[in-house]
Amino acid sequence: MAAVIAFILFGIGILGLVLRRDLVIKLLALGLVNSATILFLVSIGDRPGARAPIQLPGDVAILADPLPHALVLSAIVVNFAILALALVFVMILVERYHTTDSTRIEQEMVRETDEEEKPCS
Amino acid sequence: MQLILLPLLRFVFAILTITFSKARKPLTILSHLLDALLLSQLVLLLLRGTPQAFTVGGAPVGLGIPLIGDQNGLTFAVLAWVLSVAVTSYTWQDGLRPYFFLLLNLLIGASYALSFAKDLFTAFLLLDLSTIVSFLLVGYQRRPRQIWASLHYMILSSLGMSIFLLGIGVVYAHCGTLDLSLLEALVRESAGESWVHLASALLVAGLAVKAGVFIFSLWLPSAHARAMPAVSALLSGLVIKMGVVELFRISVVFPIDLPLIVLGVITGVLGVAYALNSYDIKRLLAFSTLSQIGYILIGFGAHTDVARLGALSYEVAHGLFKALLFLTVGEAAKCAGGSHISVLTANSHQIPWGTRIAMTVAVLGIIGLPPLAGFDAKAILEDGLSSVPLHLIVLLMSVGTVMSFAKLAPVLFARSTCRTCRSHVLSYGWLAGGILLFWPLSLLLVPPNVNLHAMTFAHIAEALIVMAVGSGLYMSIRRRRFALPMEVFRMETSPLIILLGFFLVYALIALGR
Repeated sequence: MAAVIAFILFGIGILGLVLRRDLVIKLLALGLVNSATILFLVSIGDRPGARAPIQLPGDVAILADPLPHALVLSAIVVNFAILALALVFVMILVERYHTTDSTRIEQEMVRETDEEEKPCS
Repeated sequence: MQLILLPLLRFVFAILTITFSKARKPLTILSHLLDALLLSQLVLLLLRGTPQAFTVGGAPVGLGIPLIGDQNGLTFAVLAWVLSVAVTSYTWQDGLRPYFFLLLNLLIGASYALSFAKDLFTAFLLLDLSTIVSFLLVGYQRRPRQIWASLHYMILSSLGMSIFLLGIGVVYAHCGTLDLSLLEALVRESAGESWVHLASALLVAGLAVKAGVFIFSLWLPSAHARAMPAVSALLSGLVIKMGVVELFRISVVFPIDLPLIVLGVITGVLGVAYALNSYDIKRLLAFSTLSQIGYILIGFGAHTDVARLGALSYEVAHGLFKALLFLTVGEAAKCAGGSHISVLTANSHQIPWGTRIAMTVAVLGIIGLPPLAGFDAKAILEDGLSSVPLHLIVLLMSVGTVMSFAKLAPVLFARSTCRTCRSHVLSYGWLAGGILLFWPLSLLLVPPNVNLHAMTFAHIAEALIVMAVGSGLYMSIRRRRFALPMEVFRMETSPLIILLGFFLVYALIALGR
C-alpha cells in the first residue's frame, strides 16, 4: 500500500514540476518527488516486529534490513543538499529579476544580451 | 589497494587544497603525479590479465563495497586523469579560487570511484556527488544565465536520480542485493518478469538524465553552453560519461540492449539536427555532445565485443576532442567578443593562431579524418555492428557531424598574429597529442587485429567520402534556416518529456523480451 502511495505522490510531484511556474513551488514539488522515493524505500525495508540490526551471539530474533535504511539516510542528505543549494540559486535569481516566475525569468533572459567581453589586444 | 587509493587521495587533496590554499598548485601537480603512478600500475595489472579487485573493509561477498579495475572502468579513469591534467593546465594562470580546485578534485575523485564501483548503491552516491559538484561548477562565476542553467540541471538531475533510486528499490526488493556481479544470475533467472522490466526502465531513465541522452538530458544545451570553458570541457568530456559508464555496467545485467540502440539513434539524429541549426558555437558543441553520445550507446547496445571496444574508444576519443573544442572555442569567443559564428568569423583575425591550430585538430578529429581519434573509434565501432540499418544511421550521423562543423571553416583558416597564453598551449598540446596519436595509443585498449582492421582502405575511403558529402551538403543548405522546436528545453516541459521517455524505454524493454 505504501508503495502505491509512493508512486501516486511521485506522479503528483511531477505534475507540480510541469504545471507550476513558481520556482519555489517547483522545488516543493521536487521535494515531494524525492519524499515519494524515500517512502517507497521505507516500504521495501519494512519488517514487522524486527529489531535494530545488531546481531548478538546466539541471537535468532528478526533483524531489520540495514541497507534500505542506509539508502534512505543517504537520499535524505543528498536531497537536503540539493534543495538548499537550489533555494540559494533561486534567491540569486530573485535578486536579479524580482520574480520567482520561471517563464518571466526565461523571457527576461531572452531579452538580455550576453555580457560583452573585450577582444584581446 | 590502488582502486581505493585513487579516489581517496583525490578527496584528501580536495581538503588539502582548501586548507592550504597557497600551496594549491604544487598540491595539484603532486595529485596528478600520484594518480599517474597508481593508474599505470592498474593498467599493467590489467594488461597482464589479472585486473585488480578489492572489497572495501574486506566484507564478505554481497555485503561490502566491491571495486574492480576492469577494462571499462580503467578506460574511464584514464580519461578522467587526462582531462583533469588538461583543465588544470588551462586554468593555471586564470587566478581561480581554491574553491575551484576543491570542486575539481572532488569531481575527479568521484569519477575514479565510479569507474571501479560494481554496486548500484555506491554508483547512486557517486552520481549524486558528481551532480552536486557539477551544479557548483556550472554556476561558478555566478552569472544569472549560469545560475539558471545550473538550476535547470539541478531539478532534472534530482528527478533523474529519484527515478534511478526507485529502480534500485525495485531491484533490492526482489533480489536482496545491489552487487552487479550477484545480480547478473538473479536477473537472468527472473527474465521476462514484470519487475525486471520496471526496474530496467527506471534505472535506464534515471541514468539517461545524467548521460546526455537527447529526450532525457534536456538541461545539457544550456548548462554546457553557459558554463566557463574549463567547466564545459569537464561536463562534456567527463560528467555525462559517468552516466554512460553506469548504463554500460547495468546493460550487462539487465535486458536493455534494444532501448540503448533506440535511444542512441534518437539522440544521434536529433543531436545532429539541432547542432546543424545552431549558430552559437558553444551551443553547437553542446548539441554535438548529445549526438556523439548516440555512437557510444549504439556501440554498447549492439552487444558484440568489437562494438563494445568501439564504444569505449569513442568514449575516450570524444572526451579528448570535445574537451579541446570547448577550451579553444572558449578562448576564441573571449578574443573575438562573442561565440556566435558571425562574430567569430568577423573577428577571426583576433583569435590566436595556436588556438586555431588546436581547434582545427579537434574539428578534424570529430569529423573523422584518418587516422585521427574520431576516425579510428568510429571504424572499430562500425566493424562491430552487424545490422545494415545501424550502419546507415551511423553514416548519416557522421555526415551530419561534418555538416555541423563545416560552419567553422572560415574561423579556422583566417590569419592572425595574436599568441596563445602559454598555459593554454600546454593544455591544447596535451589533448591534441592524444587525438593525433590515438591510433597507436588505442593498442592498449583494442587488440591489434581489431585496431589494424580499422585502417583498411574501405574505412579510409568511407571517411573521406563522408567528409566530402557532408561539406557539399552544407554548402548547398548553408543559407537555409530550419525551425526546430525549442520548447522541449524549457523547465516546464522537460520533466514531462522525461516521463514520456520512461514509458518509451519501458515499452522497448517489453518489446525486446
